[in-house]
Amino acid sequence: MAAHNLEIRRSSASLWGGATGMRQLPVVSKFIDTTTCIGCKACEVACQEWNDLGPVSTRQTGTYQTMPELDPEFWNLIRFNEQEFDGGVVWLMRKDQCMHCEDPGCLAACPAPGAIVQYENGIVDVNPEACIGCGFCATGCPFDVPKFHAKTGKMAKCTLCVDRVESGLEPACIKACPTGCLQFGTKDDMVAMGHARVEQLKANGFANAVLYDPPGVGGTGVVTVLGHGDHLEWYGLPRDPRVPLGVRFWKSVLRPLGVVAIFGAVVGAIGHFMYQGPKEPPQTGGEPTGGEPPRTPRP
Amino acid sequence: MSATASRPPADSAILRARRSEDVVVGDEIVRHRLATRAIHWTVALFFFLALFSGLPIWTPVFGWMAHLFGGLNVCRWLHPWAGLAFFVSMLVMFVHWLGEMRLEPNDREWLRPRKMIEYMRYQGEDPEVGKYNGGQKLFFFAAALGALGLLLSGVVVWFPLEFPRIVRELAILIHDVTFILFVVAVVFHIYLGTAAEPGTFHSMIRGTVRKPWARLHHPRWYREVLGGKTRRP
Repeated sequence: MAAHNLEIRRSSASLWGGATGMRQLPVVSKFIDTTTCIGCKACEVACQEWNDLGPVSTRQTGTYQTMPELDPEFWNLIRFNEQEFDGGVVWLMRKDQCMHCEDPGCLAACPAPGAIVQYENGIVDVNPEACIGCGFCATGCPFDVPKFHAKTGKMAKCTLCVDRVESGLEPACIKACPTGCLQFGTKDDMVAMGHARVEQLKANGFANAVLYDPPGVGGTGVVTVLGHGDHLEWYGLPRDPRVPLGVRFWKSVLRPLGVVAIFGAVVGAIGHFMYQGPKEPPQTGGEPTGGEPPRTPRP
Repeated sequence: MSATASRPPADSAILRARRSEDVVVGDEIVRHRLATRAIHWTVALFFFLALFSGLPIWTPVFGWMAHLFGGLNVCRWLHPWAGLAFFVSMLVMFVHWLGEMRLEPNDREWLRPRKMIEYMRYQGEDPEVGKYNGGQKLFFFAAALGALGLLLSGVVVWFPLEFPRIVRELAILIHDVTFILFVVAVVFHIYLGTAAEPGTFHSMIRGTVRKPWARLHHPRWYREVLGGKTRRP
């Protein structure tokens, strides 16, 4: 999905950014309140419809979850989990999708120029025409979101409905939500709304309620209110997601060093030739005629 | 043999040169018979195919190389296959050359950087250098080991979604480090084989070297060949 009205802030495999910063757009974010989600899956259907995805065969895993994992044709999955808590059970619904990180690991890992871009408003998007389907983005993503689409040979994930957002509309999932647990707006507004909701929850017996906006990836374009913030694993969320160290080291240290080493080797060889010159047999006395091999080693 | 018998005598030497190594032909010595040269250049072909299709995936600094093949999508398809062909041809070369590349006690000196520097300064010449010097043998084994490292890590990078995250990250790092060292080594391999040591490139093209070249670079081999001992195990 390419948004033509949005300036690109960051682009994969690009050494020199193209952003002018002329048009300052507020960073947008989704707001997800897991405590008021009723698991109706309207957002899943809206996502499929708006993005012309699927239909994908659902897979029953014995829970109220549509399928076990995100799929190249299923970008928005309400994860279901049942936990014992305080003498009873709680049902936990968490909207799993691309988190639209401020510091996207997928973009850092991507080798194809322009295949993953971050727009001025913070949305992280895959451009299929530039994507080469190598899957490096999946290695870079701490949330395991990008999926390889075998039919197209490209990676696919949630676009935050960038085609709707650039036209002033809210994402399809937000539009469809009947309880208001999904909201859309500027990141600042959504974070403020999230903190207010967390305070409300704390006052109502959810002492460990948190707003999930992990700083390790610079914050995310999807902020999630969790009733049980002390048990992130209940929601299938990593505690401190970061761009993997290997990917960082590879792109920021190994690659520049390697470029220098390769050019250095060429320059070194040329320098050696200028200083030392070729190693040639002595020209004096002509060439041996072949009959008399010298039995004594040369000094 | 009846076909060769009718050829002019000048050709018989060349034909002979193509079948056997370490023999004197006029003023020259056959160093690499046709099979050796063909194997070497097959490895080189697939190496450069893999290199030039891999570099644009590695960094946009070499992004322009993708146009040699018709774009980055082509590179993404071509690179693993070229790499696989490189490994297979390297395996053939390994078996082909292993007998001649056996390390001798003197060759161990080459593990020290001082020896390599001495060599590059054209100092400390060893009259006991045989057909291949210690540096060449080390490059041979390092290249074989590097090809294996590139294959194993390359398979993971080729099918990333089949492997756990930590394996993928490690594979990318191993692939990178190995290929960088490989390219640096190949730059010097090419330099030594062409500009630095005139006559060497000819030996890999036409198969023969001139006697002074052999006496300078591989004295013991020169003595062995002219002493009538044509083949070493």
